Amino acid sequence: MSYKIKKAAVLGAGVMGATIAAHLTNAGIECVLLDIIPFELTDADKAKGLTEKSPAWRNRFAANGLAGIMKAKPAAFFTKKNASMIKIGNLEDNMDMLKDVDWVCEVVIENLKIKQELFAKLEKAVNPNCIISTNTSGIPIKDVSAKFSANMKAHFLGTHFFNPPRYMKLLEIIPGKETKKEIVDYMTTFCEEVLGKGVVVCKDSPNFIGNRIGIFDISNVIHLMVEKDMKIEEIDAIFGKAMGRPGTAVFGTMDLVGLDTGIHVMKNLHDAVPDDEMKEWFLPTDFLTAMMEKKWLGNKTKQGFYKKTKDEKGKKLKLVIDYKTLEYKPAPKVKFDSVSAANKTEGGVGAKIKVLFNGKDAAAEFVREFLCNNFIYAANRIPEIAERVLEIDNTMKWGYNQKLGPFEVWDAVGVKEAVEVMKKLKKKVPKKIEEMLKAGCESFYTKKKDGQYIYDFATKGYVKIEETPKIILLPSLKDQKKVVKENASASLVDIGDGVACLEFHTKMNAIDDGMVEMIKASCDIVEKDFKGMVVANHDERAFSAGANVFKVLMAIQKGEWDFVENSIADLQNALMRMKYLSKPTVTAPAGMALGGGCEITMHGARCQPCGETYIGLVEVGVGLIPAGGGCKELALRLTEGIPTGAIEAGLNIQQFYTKAFENIATAKVATSAAEAMELGYIRKTENISLGRDQQIWDAKQLVLGMSLYYKPGRQALIPVMGENFRGLINAALYNMRAGNYVSDYDVHVSKKVAYILSGGDCAEGTYVTEQELLDLEREAFLSLAGEQKSQDRIMHMLSTGKPLRN
Amino acid sequence: MREAVIVEAVRSAGGRSKRGGLAATRSDEIGIQVIKGLLARVPQLDPADVDDLICGCAFPEGEQGMQLGKILAVGAGLPESASGMTINRFCSSGVQSMADATAKINMGWSDVIIAGGCESMSHIPMGGSIMRPNVDWPSDAPWVYISMGMTAENIAANYKISREDMDAMGMESNRRAYEAIKAGKFKGEIIPINAFKYKIAKNGKRIRETYVFDTDDGVRWPVTLADMAKLKSPFKAGGQCTAANSSQTTDGAGFALIMTAEKAKAIGVKPLAKLTNYAVAGCKPEEMGVGPKYAIPKVLKQAGLTTKDIDVFEINEAFAAQALYSIREIGIEDRLKAGDINPNGGAIALGHPLGASGAKLTAQLLAELKRRGGKGKRGIVSMCIGGGMGAAAIFEML
Repeated sequence: MSYKIKKAAVLGAGVMGATIAAHLTNAGIECVLLDIIPFELTDADKAKGLTEKSPAWRNRFAANGLAGIMKAKPAAFFTKKNASMIKIGNLEDNMDMLKDVDWVCEVVIENLKIKQELFAKLEKAVNPNCIISTNTSGIPIKDVSAKFSANMKAHFLGTHFFNPPRYMKLLEIIPGKETKKEIVDYMTTFCEEVLGKGVVVCKDSPNFIGNRIGIFDISNVIHLMVEKDMKIEEIDAIFGKAMGRPGTAVFGTMDLVGLDTGIHVMKNLHDAVPDDEMKEWFLPTDFLTAMMEKKWLGNKTKQGFYKKTKDEKGKKLKLVIDYKTLEYKPAPKVKFDSVSAANKTEGGVGAKIKVLFNGKDAAAEFVREFLCNNFIYAANRIPEIAERVLEIDNTMKWGYNQKLGPFEVWDAVGVKEAVEVMKKLKKKVPKKIEEMLKAGCESFYTKKKDGQYIYDFATKGYVKIEETPKIILLPSLKDQKKVVKENASASLVDIGDGVACLEFHTKMNAIDDGMVEMIKASCDIVEKDFKGMVVANHDERAFSAGANVFKVLMAIQKGEWDFVENSIADLQNALMRMKYLSKPTVTAPAGMALGGGCEITMHGARCQPCGETYIGLVEVGVGLIPAGGGCKELALRLTEGIPTGAIEAGLNIQQFYTKAFENIATAKVATSAAEAMELGYIRKTENISLGRDQQIWDAKQLVLGMSLYYKPGRQALIPVMGENFRGLINAALYNMRAGNYVSDYDVHVSKKVAYILSGGDCAEGTYVTEQELLDLEREAFLSLAGEQKSQDRIMHMLSTGKPLRN
Repeated sequence: MREAVIVEAVRSAGGRSKRGGLAATRSDEIGIQVIKGLLARVPQLDPADVDDLICGCAFPEGEQGMQLGKILAVGAGLPESASGMTINRFCSSGVQSMADATAKINMGWSDVIIAGGCESMSHIPMGGSIMRPNVDWPSDAPWVYISMGMTAENIAANYKISREDMDAMGMESNRRAYEAIKAGKFKGEIIPINAFKYKIAKNGKRIRETYVFDTDDGVRWPVTLADMAKLKSPFKAGGQCTAANSSQTTDGAGFALIMTAEKAKAIGVKPLAKLTNYAVAGCKPEEMGVGPKYAIPKVLKQAGLTTKDIDVFEINEAFAAQALYSIREIGIEDRLKAGDINPNGGAIALGHPLGASGAKLTAQLLAELKRRGGKGKRGIVSMCIGGGMGAAAIFEML
């Protein structure tokens, strides 16, 4: 039996259900979203003329769920247009909507009886091969499926998404005892390749992996904090960047999640794990209970551990709770020497944590004991919740945004060293760890010639981690000496099968001369020795954040105008060469692709974006204009579909160009690859890789496919509006200026953008070459770069990271 | 000089642009139906006697392009001998057409004319589909391309018209319109339109469905000042002119039948009123909304009258800022409060179908004067005009 999910259903339209549905549409899957019928008609309903028969009333919960995700922040949809792929209804009248779905994901309230009743109804409504899953975070899968038929049990499993599903990589898949293996395999592949998730297959143990280890992590912090008499703000100062934790640290994250949810999961866990040696820690402390009673639940009740308010002058003020008195007071800036030292440490998060672990102050002391507790707890959970450390590490990284999982942290501080600390602290060192050290295995992970190995507790030795062919890791290929050419800014790496990958590796992948040099060199090499090229990298934040404006500013201030002009021309020429290379180039942006990063993206023959691509031409923010072919390429992209002769017959291309102008003059950044298609930065015919792991492989397949029969495109002639476009923009800018939406200098910069897009001094309907627009870009860039106000904007951006509106 | 009389003045109900009852119905279709309704009310008239059809339209392009005047004449079933034309003076077009018709008849150049206006703002955007401002227009010259919202913000700022006063005017406009509709006051002047909308039928096919549209659909009632105060200006950062104190974009048409007094007598119809005076005055483009301040005194002077001689005013509420300012400058704010200005609500509630507004307001004015009997002898229709003008017409009941 082969499976294929084209259409799915989500039952339960709360925040989690609705956002899962939204993410399914992001992956191109049509979705049915059902919820229960409201309990009774309100007076307001009756006043509107609604009765118990009105669909508007019966479908209200699902409709509200859909309305909620339209406004969700961060956005749940790649583009709001996806909403049309969701059909709503209710669980009484619309069960027939489930008859042709391939997967039903249940996300109703965490109540076993309600779930069981719903599933009893479900069996009759779906086709026998439909895959059925529950998104429970705490109820054992075996309990949910206890009363199922044999067929439904075979098709049933747990699919536990983390909130928010679009952004959190983790998805726990929990097979039941009777679940068919082919279904587990299919769902794992589907969730990884189609939904872009990081799948961890878990055992059916209480709270699975994420909410078991995660809840212990938080309980551990809280208990040690009380024991050591530390303050909330101190803890959050420790658990930031230096510990590889998200910026909201511990208590900021709790405020985000909601104290009620946290306590609910903690209590449930406590009751579910009678044999857990640490279970008492899962009971909420007195101050947590008190806060719960006062409904200080976090951001949703406007106060939790933190409270945002304004002082008498109206300035924003952040207050923090004193958990002993339950009073809020201004949050002081906390500094620990060990944390500062860790932050200054180079060499990644592991090195930072090690510095903290070995520090001498109160923060270090806290971290030592905290980590030892975490290590011991995690080690004791093997094999209860997972066979290998890898699953636990992946879960904590993907579901809790920790840079390193507990065993990776343990490796970083030294397994042996940590055990010594444990002994000093009189902690019970797990037997399996002593055995591991005795066997001479001093780390959980180790690199060997043929790849990555992991310590296996069952066999008491290292075993090789299976490689996933669809995950291409450039660092690992570099280790294997696959670098074709490199400099400090970029490398060309052989990724096999005759395809090369151009990888940038400057800070935020800012574009500098070295990078442009490598683009040109790579074109030469690929043309000769490869079938084609992928442009991609693994940087977590930016494919490329654009030109290195610091270097630009330095050159301007030194009056090195020839250098500035040549640099721009160099970039333009390199990108044009790449675009028209005789071998196919596929750009694969992920994360930020801004300014020059956007221009590089647009100059591939094709593009294979990651769903989470934030792309735009943002140069006006620093008082400049896109001069690496961005204006040119956007003009070309937005007009390339116009049939020959249509303009001559009177087609008004004003709307095409006002779109291009708006994008550039307002520095519009797409919030997803799908939105980038709407804005014109990426062609609508391209495919999107939802997950990042597989993106380079996807791009490589595209190159291989194209390489079978490839002819580079021909240089384009671009229809422009000439002076008429500038007249139009002048009129619009007049209103914008009069309405105080823009400054005089904004108008000045915008007019330069309009000049380029207009094609210069020509009549409406003229066709210009790409080079003509490139020349206009360069001219405008240089003239703006010479202006004090643009230089002020660059300086301000460099010093504050924010655009200056002068 | 011969006397031109208005025999009948009618209008369609106003439909909110894009979302209202006429949003899918073509402009010419609305116009044709209103004219047919107008002619049906005067069965004594032989359509062959209609000499000309003058249609005001602010953006005579697209489906209201070509020669809308002649298209409406043919569409309404007038014989081929009838001529037609389209005129454009933006927001006064609908009454400008009546003034031109009156002048033509007075001069003896014509005997019977249908005049009014027609506009679908759902289909033809303000500014038209192809706008091409002159790139060489000096930026310090009078800015003829300014957006209308910005002109209203200029007036609010330059003449200190408060947000509270503007919102109060918007609220009162809606209240009056709501009351008028409830009392059935507009029934007599409105020609119901067989409008259409597109939908997907149960079998999945896309179909066009016809229904009757006969009630102005832009009125918002009840509203509260508190809610209105929450709205932001779409025209200016921190501005004062909002959706609650500005006119709505609207679809609609209005037409009047104008003929010589002799012709009316000959076919045995009782004339309703006559357009006695008409004036247009220019002003700054950037403050185009002050137009009525100049146009109303100008037309009164022409007629040798004062505001006291005018029983009812219909002053187009393009924006509360400009309407209120003009009313205050002319010194008739008391008449606004007394219910002699826009007695049944204005464009903030009932909408402003640009080129049709003059005709629409005329139909409303004449019906109101008629309702007032002996106390309704004379009225004024006035509006501001984009580009920097104001127009005012005096009507006298017969």
